[in-house]
Amino acid sequence: MNQPARGLTYSRVSFRYPDSPGIALRDVDLEVEGGEILLVAGGSGSGKSTLLRAANGLVPHTSGGQFSGNVLAFGRSTRTHRPRELADVVGFVHQDPEAQFVVDHVERDLAFVLENLGHEPQAMRRRVEEVLDALGIAQLRERAPTSLSSGERQRCAIAGALAAAPAALVLDEPTSQLDPQGADDVLAAIGRLNADLGTTVLLAEHRLERAAPLADRAVIFEAGSIVASPGPPAAVLAGYAGAPPVTHLARLLGWEPLPLTVRDARRLAVEAGRANRSDRSDRSDGSNGLDGCKPPPPDAPGEAQGEAPGELLLDATGVHVELGGRTVLADVSVSARQGEVIALLGRNGAGKTTLLRVLGRLLTARAGSIEGPGTVAYVPQDPNTLLFAATVRAELEQTLHLLGRRDHGDVDHWLAALDLTHLAGRHPRSLAGGERQRVAVAAVAVGGADVLLLDEPTRGMDAPSRAGLERALRAHAEAGGAVVLATHDVELAARSAGRVVVLGDGDVVASGPARTVLAGSLFAPQVLRVLPPFLTVDEVARAQGVPAAPAGRVEP
Amino acid sequence: MTSRFHALAWLIWALAAAISLQLAPNPLYVAVVIGIATLVVQVHGSDGPFARAFPVLLTLGVVFMVIRVALTAATTHTGIGTELFTTPSFTLPQLLGGFTVGGPVEAEVLFQAAAEGFVVVGVMAVFGAFNAVVSHYELVQSTPRAFYELGLVVTVALAFVPSTIQAVVAVREADRARTGGRVVRRGRLIRQAIPVLESGMERAVNLAESMDARGFAYGGASPLDRVAGWAGFASLLALGGAFVALVGRASTVALALGAAGVGLLLVAVWAASAARHRSRYRPRHFTTADGAMAGIAMLAPIGIAALSAWGESTLTWAASPLHWPAFAALPVIALTALLAPMIRVPPVNAAEPPDTAGRRELVSDRGSAAK
Repeated sequence: MNQPARGLTYSRVSFRYPDSPGIALRDVDLEVEGGEILLVAGGSGSGKSTLLRAANGLVPHTSGGQFSGNVLAFGRSTRTHRPRELADVVGFVHQDPEAQFVVDHVERDLAFVLENLGHEPQAMRRRVEEVLDALGIAQLRERAPTSLSSGERQRCAIAGALAAAPAALVLDEPTSQLDPQGADDVLAAIGRLNADLGTTVLLAEHRLERAAPLADRAVIFEAGSIVASPGPPAAVLAGYAGAPPVTHLARLLGWEPLPLTVRDARRLAVEAGRANRSDRSDRSDGSNGLDGCKPPPPDAPGEAQGEAPGELLLDATGVHVELGGRTVLADVSVSARQGEVIALLGRNGAGKTTLLRVLGRLLTARAGSIEGPGTVAYVPQDPNTLLFAATVRAELEQTLHLLGRRDHGDVDHWLAALDLTHLAGRHPRSLAGGERQRVAVAAVAVGGADVLLLDEPTRGMDAPSRAGLERALRAHAEAGGAVVLATHDVELAARSAGRVVVLGDGDVVASGPARTVLAGSLFAPQVLRVLPPFLTVDEVARAQGVPAAPAGRVEP
Repeated sequence: MTSRFHALAWLIWALAAAISLQLAPNPLYVAVVIGIATLVVQVHGSDGPFARAFPVLLTLGVVFMVIRVALTAATTHTGIGTELFTTPSFTLPQLLGGFTVGGPVEAEVLFQAAAEGFVVVGVMAVFGAFNAVVSHYELVQSTPRAFYELGLVVTVALAFVPSTIQAVVAVREADRARTGGRVVRRGRLIRQAIPVLESGMERAVNLAESMDARGFAYGGASPLDRVAGWAGFASLLALGGAFVALVGRASTVALALGAAGVGLLLVAVWAASAARHRSRYRPRHFTTADGAMAGIAMLAPIGIAALSAWGESTLTWAASPLHWPAFAALPVIALTALLAPMIRVPPVNAAEPPDTAGRRELVSDRGSAAK
């Protein structure tokens, strides 16, 4: 082979999946330069995944479908090379860390690709050791992947893709199934690989707070086409709904250059504050960088100050749960009133899911009582456990059917509320992850329960989906219901919850109005860290007197 | 987790234990073997998807035993045993065998069936212990290379079993969650089967893509692969022909075809092994320690066989006439050879890695955990 060209080149690539009416990629021209990190942003079903899967020929070799154009991976065309023949130049990492292990042993799983490619034993040995160190997983080498945490598992999967020393690493939403800690570890590892080894990285992500600062360039996809050509992340993402909150904040306040990190934003805030002070030296509150706005933010609508206004719907007192001989919840008390959205925060294993299951009457507590007139319904973390009907609409109607109701109830209302009306005739399983999650929420909510219990509802969701879900949940609360969310996403908690309950090792470690609890936290939302005491961009906008543009709806 | 012993050593250990069970089916000795198997699992059990193989298979064995006892008690009536109680009886029509179900239940029959069933429990315990301690991938790697792909497919498929069970549990809960805890029985099977099957399919497709992207079957079929394929196919034909000839009592033809079949099979294995482009990462060598473990374990069946030849009477037990199973020291001493894996006990930190958070969290948070 000639001197291989560096990078991945897409030229006029179009693709349509078999049995699918829509076009997944439309005339895409893209150059991923050798050694860069290119971030691919875009909503669910925008063609990000297809683009990534085309990099090593999974599209079209494994998927089937109509493919035109050409993809060159380091000089090799995917038209003539199958994925397995590109394994030594392109490493591919899937979003589901569970679906990538062939061998039930971390170290041997890393060697899988090397064995397949027929490397010499001595070279394999050395390579595996190096990869173990590069990802910081040497201490996990003897473990079975199923026994690892999801963040550890994803790092092992990346190591498995990296073992053959590919020049490029392609990662399809590698952190969407992870908790924040795991996501941080994985993204830090990706950044290190790029910096140390010069590995080219093509990365698709929803969670841009962490991924955007890492990228050299970003590109935005919509409906299979590039809508914002590759460029510096801050500039490209400026008008994008999924951009980090600090970017939206800076755009609102006219700060330049647009920041991607809290650190940059804070510096800009200080500068802006200084500028204000020199204008009006008598103002002392100018240090927050807000130019001429009412200083203290008004309480977000529905935010609880002291007692919540509505009637008590659900009251759990002294809940104690043991699972497998371990105390998961110790003497936990939570109540939900009409009009409340409550966020349960806490690391994995802190008992969030267990508490939701107890409240949802799926699990019986060993001690404690759960009372209240409100009916409850629980949306599990994995929407795939729920969906079985042939269409989205049928999925919602099934719930009513199971409840013994003959009417169509609120089917149309919930389809509209969660922005599913245009998908009503689709098969739930053919939808993207974030869309499935919304279908699951709708399918449970349509039953008309007063208290909705949602477990990690925004996992893998893009920004518009998230915004739609938040709106629907607030509307449900305002209509006299209540919502309890278990989440890792502090931004979600800041935007939608009036009250925050933090669980730690089975206890309630903090509970109260969202602003109070989050303000004292190491894991405060971005806006609170830049411009306390504001929690969200919306609050700042209202304080500025600008009509509130809900996050996720900002147009370019 | 890599096992402390080679997969072949574990295979020999399991065979030794199984043969011992067959040679000494006295319930007391069976209990000793089950105890040893439990101990071995406690010390050498892995943390992989097969970690729960031992309790699961043991339970399965007990279920078999109970069914066996129930069926035997209902259908076997000697008329000379000690009658415990009588159940209503009916005789099946001639077409279905014409035997009587129900009637007097005899103690001897009950105990004999239980003892025989107990041997099955013992075999399941040994098989379960083997699965819990062995590294299945290592086992695949120890087979001739021709069987690598097949073996890999089987281990991957087996590894799906625990995750499928988890999926079933999650789907059942989701079904209740949807209605706020209310259980609707009608149509439940469909509602629960579809998510499990579809999720399993999606996972399988993802795994296939991941394997493809990681170079599985790199290099495609070589001429030798084709030779192997055709030789394997011809071998199957020849063996099938040999079987037909055997049924037709054409023994010369059967012999010739059988020999040809075996020959072709060997050719197929050789060709496939020679054609592999794969190399092996850190192949596990059969060390002296492995040999010692396997050798000591084999002393158990050899010792039992010797005792049997010597005329040791306690090895087997018959319920009729009713008596307690007898017990002797020598067979138990022979069985202790099955404790051979205890010679090399993994150090405490290796059995319990410092970072066990992930394992603990599996219980509470659907496998995703942070420290």
